[in-house]
Amino acid sequence: MSALIDSLATEARLPADDHAEVRRRAHKALLKHGFPDLKTEAWKYTSLRVLEKRAFSDQRPGLSSLPELPFAATVLHFDNGILDATDLNLPAGVSLQPQTDEKLAAVDHGDRAGAFGWLNLARFEQAWQLRIEGQQEQPLVLAISTAEDFHGDVHPRLAIELAAGATAQIIEVHEDRGEGLVNIVQDIALERGANLHHLVSRHSAQSAWIQRSEAKVARDADYRFHALDRGGRLTRHDLAVTLTESGAQAEIDGTVLVNDRQHVDFHTAIEHEVGHTNSRESFRILADGSGVGVFNGRIHIHRGADDSHSDLNTANLLLSESARINAKPELEIYAEEVTASHGATIGQLDDQALFYLRTRGIPADQASALLKQGFAAAPFENIESESIRNWLIGELGQLL
Amino acid sequence: MNQTVEQVNQVIQQRYKAGFYTDIESDRVRAGLDEEIIAMISAKKEEPTWMLEWRLKAFHHWQTMREPNWAHLKVPAIDLQKIHYYAAPKQKNRPKSLDEVDPKLLETFDKLGVPLHERARLAGVAVDAVFDSVSVGTTFQKELKEAGVIFCSFSEAVKDHPELVREYLGSVVPYSDNYFAALNSAVFSDGSFVYIPANTRCPMELSTYFRINARDTGQFERTLIIAEPGAEVSYLEGCTAPMRDENQLHAAVVELVARKKAKIKYSTVQNWYPGDENGKGGIYNFVTKRGDCREDDARISWTQVETGSAITWKYPSCILRGDRSAGEFYSVALTHNHQQADTGTKMIHLGKDTTSKIISKGISAGKSNNSYRGLVRIAKRAANARNYTQCDSLLIGKTCGAHTFPYIESANPTAKVEHEATTSRIGEDQLFYCRTRGLDEEDAVAMIVDGFCKEVFKELPMEFAVEAKALLEISLEGAVG
Repeated sequence: MSALIDSLATEARLPADDHAEVRRRAHKALLKHGFPDLKTEAWKYTSLRVLEKRAFSDQRPGLSSLPELPFAATVLHFDNGILDATDLNLPAGVSLQPQTDEKLAAVDHGDRAGAFGWLNLARFEQAWQLRIEGQQEQPLVLAISTAEDFHGDVHPRLAIELAAGATAQIIEVHEDRGEGLVNIVQDIALERGANLHHLVSRHSAQSAWIQRSEAKVARDADYRFHALDRGGRLTRHDLAVTLTESGAQAEIDGTVLVNDRQHVDFHTAIEHEVGHTNSRESFRILADGSGVGVFNGRIHIHRGADDSHSDLNTANLLLSESARINAKPELEIYAEEVTASHGATIGQLDDQALFYLRTRGIPADQASALLKQGFAAAPFENIESESIRNWLIGELGQLL
Repeated sequence: MNQTVEQVNQVIQQRYKAGFYTDIESDRVRAGLDEEIIAMISAKKEEPTWMLEWRLKAFHHWQTMREPNWAHLKVPAIDLQKIHYYAAPKQKNRPKSLDEVDPKLLETFDKLGVPLHERARLAGVAVDAVFDSVSVGTTFQKELKEAGVIFCSFSEAVKDHPELVREYLGSVVPYSDNYFAALNSAVFSDGSFVYIPANTRCPMELSTYFRINARDTGQFERTLIIAEPGAEVSYLEGCTAPMRDENQLHAAVVELVARKKAKIKYSTVQNWYPGDENGKGGIYNFVTKRGDCREDDARISWTQVETGSAITWKYPSCILRGDRSAGEFYSVALTHNHQQADTGTKMIHLGKDTTSKIISKGISAGKSNNSYRGLVRIAKRAANARNYTQCDSLLIGKTCGAHTFPYIESANPTAKVEHEATTSRIGEDQLFYCRTRGLDEEDAVAMIVDGFCKEVFKELPMEFAVEAKALLEISLEGAVG
C-alpha cells in the first residue's frame, strides 16, 4: 500500500492554505492507518490495485461537459470536481458557504476502512456547506464531471443541511471521462421533520470513483436515497444513514450495472440508534461481461432502539460466465420488539419468462433486454416525479 | 409479557446439570506449549515418527499465525502456556474391554446419560467416550467389525490403521488452515476414527461423548470419518464439562470425507459448561469442522444444537467438489447470560449441479450475543449450483443481541442462491392466540419456540432429538419446550 501513500498522500502534495492544521491531522491519521487491503473486512471484495498502478498529475484538465437533463433544475457544476462559486444563482432558502475549520477539526473517519475519508480531509481543495430551508420545488443538481484529460485526484467535500421542516430534492449527476481519482465526502443532516430525496446517477469511465455519504436523520425526518450506477473501472460508495431520533425514517433503493472490466462496490449501513424508527432498502446488481458487483447492506439496531422495523432486500442477476457478484446483507440487533429481515438472491433471467416473450414473436435478444430493463427499473418505480423517473429508466434503456 | 421473561429467566438459571467433577487420579504433562510437550504427547501415545513430524510441522506453522479477530466475539486473552495439553485418567494397563475400565469413569458417563456397559446394548448406539485427553472405551467394537466398519479412538487408529490415517489426516482441514486448527494439529490427544467400507451402511448409529474433567487442561480432539463409495453413516457427538470459575479451551478438528455416493450425517449436541450467570468460567469452544464431498453424488449433512460454551466459534462446512454432491446444515444455537456464539457454515460449491441447504435458528437471552456467520460460494465451474439459506433469530429480553452475517459469492451465471433472514421476538399475537386456545403463557411460549426449532430437531437422529429437547428444556423451560 505504500505505493498509494507515495502517489497520493505524500506531504509534498498537501495543498497549502488556512486549513493546514486540519490537513496535517488527517494526513497523520492516514499514515497511521494506511489504505485498506483485501484483509480489511469492509474492503474484502474490492482491490485498490488499479489505483496503485496509476501516476497522478497535478495539471489542470480542460473543461468538463455539463450533462443534459430533461427537467428544470438548479445546477451546481463541479467541473473536474471543483465548484466555481462565483455568480451562483441559488433559489431562496438555499445558501452555500465554505465549511469552518472548527467543524473540520472534529471530523473522525475511523480506522483503515475510512482511509479515503482521511485522504479527502488531507487533500481537499474546497469544503462546502449547503443549507436548505423551506420547501424547494425545483431539484438541486450537483453535477460532478471530469474531462478526458483528467489524470489528477480531486476530493470534493460537501456538508448538506436541511433545516427543520425543509423539503428538497438533491440529484447528483456524476459523469466521468478521465482517468484519475474522484474522492467525495458528504455529510448530510436532516433536522426535525425535514424531507430529503437524494438521488445519485453515476457513470464512471477509467477514474476511480470513491464516495462516502453520511446522513443523520432527526425526529420525524425522512431520508430517501436512489442510486443508479452505470458502472466504472473502480467505484466504491459507502452510504451510512443514522436514525438519531424517533420517527426518523430511511429508504434506500438502487440499481448497479457492471460490464467488462468494471467494478462497483456499494456499502450501505442503516443505524437505528433509537426506537420507533423505520427503514427499508432494496438493491439490485446486474453483472455482465467481466464485471464485478459488490453489495454490503448492514442494518444495526442499537440497544434500547425498541420498536424499530427494518427490511432489506437484494436481488442480483449474473449475466455472463466471467461476471461475479458478492452480496453480504448483515443484521446486527440489540433491541427487543423489533422486526428486522433481509433477503438476498443471485440468479439469472427466468427461462419461462424468456420463452413466453419469444412465443409472442419477440426475438431472444430483445426479450432478454426487456426482462433486464424491467428488473433494473424496479427500484425506481417509487419515484414520485415522473420526469425524473423516466429520465433514470431511459438511461437504463440505453445500456441494456 | 414481562411475566414470561421472568419465567424464562428463572428457568434458564437452572444449574448446569453436567457440572460435577469426577475425582480421579490423572496423569498429565506439565503446563506449556513447546516442542518438548508435543514430543511427550506423541511418546505417550506411542506414535510413529511420521505422526510426530506432522505435529511439529503444524506447531511451527502455528507459531507464524495470529489469533483470528474477525468474529463478532470478545475473546479475553488466552494464555496458551498455562494449559496442560495432556491429561488422562490413570489406568494401570490399557483396558481390553469395558469391564476393565475404572468404575468411576463408567459412573461418570452413566451420570451424564451415556451408558457404556452392557446395558448400552438396549440403546443400540455404539459409543466412543473421551475423557480429557484419551478415549476410555468404545462399545460394540465386535459388531461393527463384522460389518467391516472401523470405529475406534484416534490413537488406536494411528497404531492399527496408519495407512488410512496417513492418507486422510489433514486432507480436509490442513494444519495450515487456521490458528486453532494448527494448534489442534500440533497437540491433539485423542478423538474418534471412523471408516465405513464401500457399499456398507453402518449397522448402528455411532457416537462420541467428550468430557473435560481435569483442571487447567484443554481438550484438543480430532475426529476423522471416511465413507468409501456407497457407504452410509450417522454419527453423533456430545460434550460436557464440570463447572469451574476459570475458562477452559476446547479446540477440536473434525474432518469428513465422503466418496462417490457416500452419505455422512453428523449431529452434535454441544453442552460444554457455559459459565455462570455473571459470565464467570465456561469453555472457550473454537472448533474447525469440515466435510469434503470428494466425489460425485456424495452427501454430507451437519446438524448441531449448541447450548453450551462461554464462547462458540464454529463453522461446520461442506466442500461440494463432486458433481451433484449435496451439503446440508441445520443449527439451533441458544445463548444466555454472558454467552457468546459466532457460528454458521460454509458451503463451497465447486462441482456441477451441487446443492446446499442451510437452516439456522438462533435464540438469544440474557446478556448474550448470538451471531450467524455463513458463506455460500459458487465457483466459476459450479454450473446449476443451488443454495437455499434461511436464518431466523429470536430475541428474549432487552439486553441480548442477535446478528446475521451471510457472505454470498457467485461466479456462475447458471447458479441460484437464495438467502433470507429474520429477527424478531415472540409475537404478542401468537401468544394471545395460544392463550385463547387454553394454553397458559408458559406452554404457549414453549410451543412457539419448539415450532421455531422444529425444522432442525427433525433432522436429529431420534436418540439425540430427545437429548436436544431435554437440553432446551433445562435452558429455556417456560419459554421453550
